[in-house]
Amino acid sequence: MSKVVEISPTTRHEGHSKLVLKVNDQGIIETGNWCSITPVRGVEKLAVGKTPEQVPKIASRVCGICPIAHCLAATEAMEASIKCEIPNDAKMLRHILQLANRCHSIALHDILILPDFYIPGTETKINPFTAEEPVRSVAKRIQRLREIGQTIGQIAGGDCIHPRNTRIGGMYRNVSEQAKTKMYDLAKEGLTLSHQQAEFMIAVIRNYHNRDFVDVGGMKVPMPKTLGYHNQGYLATHAFYGSTSMDECPSWDINRFKEARPYDWYMGEMEVTLEEPKYPIGGTTKMGTKVNPQMEACTGIPMYDGQPVEVGPRARLVRYKNFDMKGTKGQNIAREMEYQDCFYEMIDCIDALNTSGKVVADYIPNGDGSLGWASNEAPRGTDVHIARVNDWKVQYFSMLVPTTWNFATCSKALEGAPWQLAEVIMRGYDPCVSCATHMIVLDEENKMIAQKLIQ
Amino acid sequence: MGAELGNYKSCVSARSTDKELLKHAQDGGIVTSLFAFALEEGIIDGAIVAANKEFAAKYPSKCMMDNSNFDMIEPWRPIPAIVNTKAELIAAAGTKYNISPNVSLLKEATRSFGLDKIGIVGTPCQMQAVRKAQLYPIGMRDVGASIALAVGIFCMENFPYQSILQLVEDHAAMKLESVKKMEIGKGKFWVYGKRGQVVQLPLKITHKYEQPGCHVCLDYVANLADVSTGSVGSPDGWSTVMVRSKIGDSVWGKAMAAGCFETQPIEKVKPGLELVTKLANEKITKNKKTLEGRATFGVGKALRNPYI
Ligand SMILES: Cc1cc2nc3c(=O)[nH]c(=O)nc-3n(C[C@H](O)[C@H](O)[C@H](O)COP(=O)(O)OP(=O)(O)OC[C@H]3O[C@@H](n4cnc5c(N)ncnc54)[C@H](O)[C@@H]3O)c2cc1C
Ligand code: SF4
Repeated sequence: MSKVVEISPTTRHEGHSKLVLKVNDQGIIETGNWCSITPVRGVEKLAVGKTPEQVPKIASRVCGICPIAHCLAATEAMEASIKCEIPNDAKMLRHILQLANRCHSIALHDILILPDFYIPGTETKINPFTAEEPVRSVAKRIQRLREIGQTIGQIAGGDCIHPRNTRIGGMYRNVSEQAKTKMYDLAKEGLTLSHQQAEFMIAVIRNYHNRDFVDVGGMKVPMPKTLGYHNQGYLATHAFYGSTSMDECPSWDINRFKEARPYDWYMGEMEVTLEEPKYPIGGTTKMGTKVNPQMEACTGIPMYDGQPVEVGPRARLVRYKNFDMKGTKGQNIAREMEYQDCFYEMIDCIDALNTSGKVVADYIPNGDGSLGWASNEAPRGTDVHIARVNDWKVQYFSMLVPTTWNFATCSKALEGAPWQLAEVIMRGYDPCVSCATHMIVLDEENKMIAQKLIQ
Repeated sequence: MGAELGNYKSCVSARSTDKELLKHAQDGGIVTSLFAFALEEGIIDGAIVAANKEFAAKYPSKCMMDNSNFDMIEPWRPIPAIVNTKAELIAAAGTKYNISPNVSLLKEATRSFGLDKIGIVGTPCQMQAVRKAQLYPIGMRDVGASIALAVGIFCMENFPYQSILQLVEDHAAMKLESVKKMEIGKGKFWVYGKRGQVVQLPLKITHKYEQPGCHVCLDYVANLADVSTGSVGSPDGWSTVMVRSKIGDSVWGKAMAAGCFETQPIEKVKPGLELVTKLANEKITKNKKTLEGRATFGVGKALRNPYI
């Protein structure tokens, strides 16, 4: 007999979500639904009628960890719609900003996943807040990496959280020589630290997945060798940056994309029949609670070629570097592997930047209502924004953010794992649930969803 | 009263020992010399000052400007800028008697300009803004800790650009382009032309042109600066300098040791602190009245008082 267990809220990721899991007698997940329960904010609807200059600044506020991705994808979707080519040095500044944000985001994710792992060769789980070594130095290194990422982003982008420097047609300002040198020095320091940090993380991740059992709230849980495996495809549009509909050979195809409603994808109404008070911290949802993922999930299900796909660091490495490690382990390792690449690429971009170069396009068209899209490879994967701008007004705006792509894929990846490890699988995706929950629901049934949450 | 001059460790009459610099400075060249010294010593790695049209033409990337605003760049309109050399400092020396939003560059200084140690000059209200940004950094992430030296200039009142235009072009009958220097002193508004003309306007003419916001200002000698300076109290070509904070004391001490300034004890010069105190008192008393008036401005309604 299957039982239903619910972990709500899930923790150590951005935003508000829950896991509804149908498990067998051994506690192995048969069907898993990972749902956003972050209230819908409706950015796409309120964008309509606003100027293309405003909307990216609003879209940025969808998320404070990866605002860069939204700001850039939205700006570039507008630029793609109005067909505005930006100067090369503006591109360089955007690339630097993008990479800096990715470095900070990886470092932040390290903090979030470390408590799942063990100090290699011991039975001690890692508490990133402990003052004891060896964890203390690791935590300090992570903080320094974040500081470096945020500072570089701040210089190139005006601010690291919600960049001010970006504008339709390029950037408001180029940076000074002094600022360029500062970014360069910081990136060099970051490169050394990221080597050390990635090495440390990969050792810890390998050690964790090689264990036979792991401890979750005092429960001894077997570690499957196939934790987090799925058979969905991968989607990535660039190793570092992204692509737009203005590219000669765009790496994303709007015709292969379709969005399904959560209604068609998630499980219907059920009752919680398994409760585990020991689950850290505070136990799982009470027995007898009614759950209804179909109605509660706050995201759409984007599909590529009719299937949910995985996006993120692993998808990028699979697509551009023949990476072949599967499952949660592969995902976490792929993310660490991006660390150094980011800094190498960033150093190249800083080198290429001409600080006396022009950063605003000479001519910025008002738009004729054409459809334009831009993808930005956010820390968590492909972030595609689609826009129509007519006469300097946004007519249509849509955001397909990484975690939205990953919701359904991750739900699949839960199958076959002990339910106690469902959050570990979920964290492998570095979920950003606020990002995922940005749209307002359009059709009749789904309107109820939005209303329900707003009540 | 008694608190009108704020807290300070020492007060002197001083002027720069750099003769070339003095040619461009308003008074004793304190601001320009001190920043030049601080730049040289690495105490600051850039300073926010009020530059002008000529400066903006020469160093456009050092100014806060939107391309669309080129029309706003007029003679004698101050343009906030970030300077990194003594030559740039000198190009931005001298008082512009209208509003220069220097604080608008404060955040940008730490961003695209890449500064770690900012020097900033400003009127007393701007020193207040700097301190408030340090203590309550609203939208001012990472700015507070980057402020390395805040130099305040005394200020009785300021003017909008249109006022200066009218005062100079109508009342003093001079084209703004041909003005070499403006000065408020000895109860007059002085306009010096490049061809040697000198026009003095009685201050009672200028009153109606003042920036209304200055009428609730309760600080004359930049009480919150690290070092404050002004002309009042010292002879022509000299400045009154008040060293206030630990930072100010340290920088001033080093600059003195390096021979940047010659000084006289403030007690020895005429008119000295007595006049500074008197003027500070007048400003504060007058503006306190204005503030009190706001409490009963409407019928049964008050205007806002930012101090409470
Ligand atoms: C609006 C205003 C009112 C003033 N009122 C008085 C007064 O009542 N009594 C008095 O003793 N002194 C007053 N001063 C100060 C005085 O005019 C000199 O600025 C001061 O003595 C410094 O001279 P200095 O030779 O040391 O500076 P300099 O070496 O000439 O450098 C002056 C610095 O001030 C900056 N600056 C110029 N204009 C402005 C502005 N509008 N806002 C911000 N920064 C600016 C310049 O960029 C430069 O860096 C006033 C100044 C201003 C701007
Ligand atoms: S009078 Fe006060 S408010 Fe006006 S400019 Fe001077 S310091 Fe600022």
